[in-house]
Amino acid sequence: MKRVVLLLLLAVSAWAWHERQALADFPGILSAYSAKEYCSCRFVMGFPEAYCRGYVRQYLPLGLLKEDSPRRLVTAEGLGRRNQAAWQGHREGCRLLP
Amino acid sequence: MKAVMLALAMTTAPALAEDWPSAQWPVDNAVINWQTVDTYAFAPHDTERGGIRTDALLIIRDGRILHERYAEPTRVDTAHLTWSVSKSVLATVMGVAYGERRFQLDDPALRYYPALQAHPTLRLADLLHWASGLAWQEDYEYAPLKSSVVAMLYTRGRTDMAAYTAARPAASAPGTQFVYSSGDSNLLAASLRAMLAPERYADYPWQALFMPLGIDSAVWERDGAGTYVGSSYLYLSARDLARIGLLMQRDGRWREQQLLPAEWVAFNRTLFSAAQPVPGEANPGGHWWLNQPLPGQPVPWPDAPSNTFAALGHWGQALYVLPTQKLVIVRYADDRDGSFSHNELLKRVLDAVAGEGA
Repeated sequence: MKRVVLLLLLAVSAWAWHERQALADFPGILSAYSAKEYCSCRFVMGFPEAYCRGYVRQYLPLGLLKEDSPRRLVTAEGLGRRNQAAWQGHREGCRLLP
Repeated sequence: MKAVMLALAMTTAPALAEDWPSAQWPVDNAVINWQTVDTYAFAPHDTERGGIRTDALLIIRDGRILHERYAEPTRVDTAHLTWSVSKSVLATVMGVAYGERRFQLDDPALRYYPALQAHPTLRLADLLHWASGLAWQEDYEYAPLKSSVVAMLYTRGRTDMAAYTAARPAASAPGTQFVYSSGDSNLLAASLRAMLAPERYADYPWQALFMPLGIDSAVWERDGAGTYVGSSYLYLSARDLARIGLLMQRDGRWREQQLLPAEWVAFNRTLFSAAQPVPGEANPGGHWWLNQPLPGQPVPWPDAPSNTFAALGHWGQALYVLPTQKLVIVRYADDRDGSFSHNELLKRVLDAVAGEGA
């Protein structure tokens, strides 16, 4: 039994090592996606706030989704990561901030 | 003299009779019952974002609006996200560059994008066929962990999407296999950048394509390096996207000007047959989607003519061109599941048009 658990643990570790980059990136997806697409929903497509909140909603909940309307800046937090997107101009639309 | 004038009028009449949108689109007042089309496209839906969720439906026949309907909050002047329809529009912008002899289809992509030095045999034509051979996983919500497109748009690729793609390992030889990749489209967007003087890139889609067509709603977002997100982030009103459809329906000609070389449109509409059939899914051409069957396979959308071609995007965005029927159809949507069928919509539109006046 111990042997099986050990083997399983080894297999999981090997997989995690193999996928270490994807696993490290994963928590950032939710907030980056939400910040960017919410920014474009509001300031490019010009849709109402309530609609855009529903538009970006995913299975995992966000801790924060906040818009600074005068600066057209959106902040999103989820899975322990924070991302911001900002409107760049009439032709350029929104972009994630570095 | 009268006879001469009459003869002259008759020879010029077809050109004069051709309809083109200026600031506004002309309207076709044909009596057509759109009920079956609208029932399908605008079916009542739940609040959980399930089912067929059309935001806009615009049907143009030979340069005139035949039918148009929007669902709130999308309106006639909404610049709607087109997602991967952007790819075919990028190809159309590149068609103008091709007409200006800025590149050849067989040119190595490396010539324009040096980060591809590990892939010297990769040609621009291969990128246009989504056949770069670079390892890629195109999947959005369902496999975010392994998705190359999610990584490109939102995490490690977002600062420079073409550089992210170019750094992918080779999975097959270039040009041998269709593997749908948003990365390939962004390599094209980066290649276009090198074909132009640095100060011209930012204006080029407008100067080359949007302004000549009278498109004034376009927004095209860029990555952290300033390269157009050619794969995904173009926004247009439905009426403006239809202008690109009309340009394609008329083989690259806009009024008297041959904006795209006819051979470019022919390339767009030529099947790239090194692809695997997927039921109900159109097949790749030159950065457009075709209703032509792969060898030994059925027509993807059996109720639409096989010369139908389209630009297609995530969540149901679509621009369909039916050259024989002279129809251009724009559909914007927010489909979050797989219930929408291209074939079903096209079938209903064709049935409605066939019943004209009844």
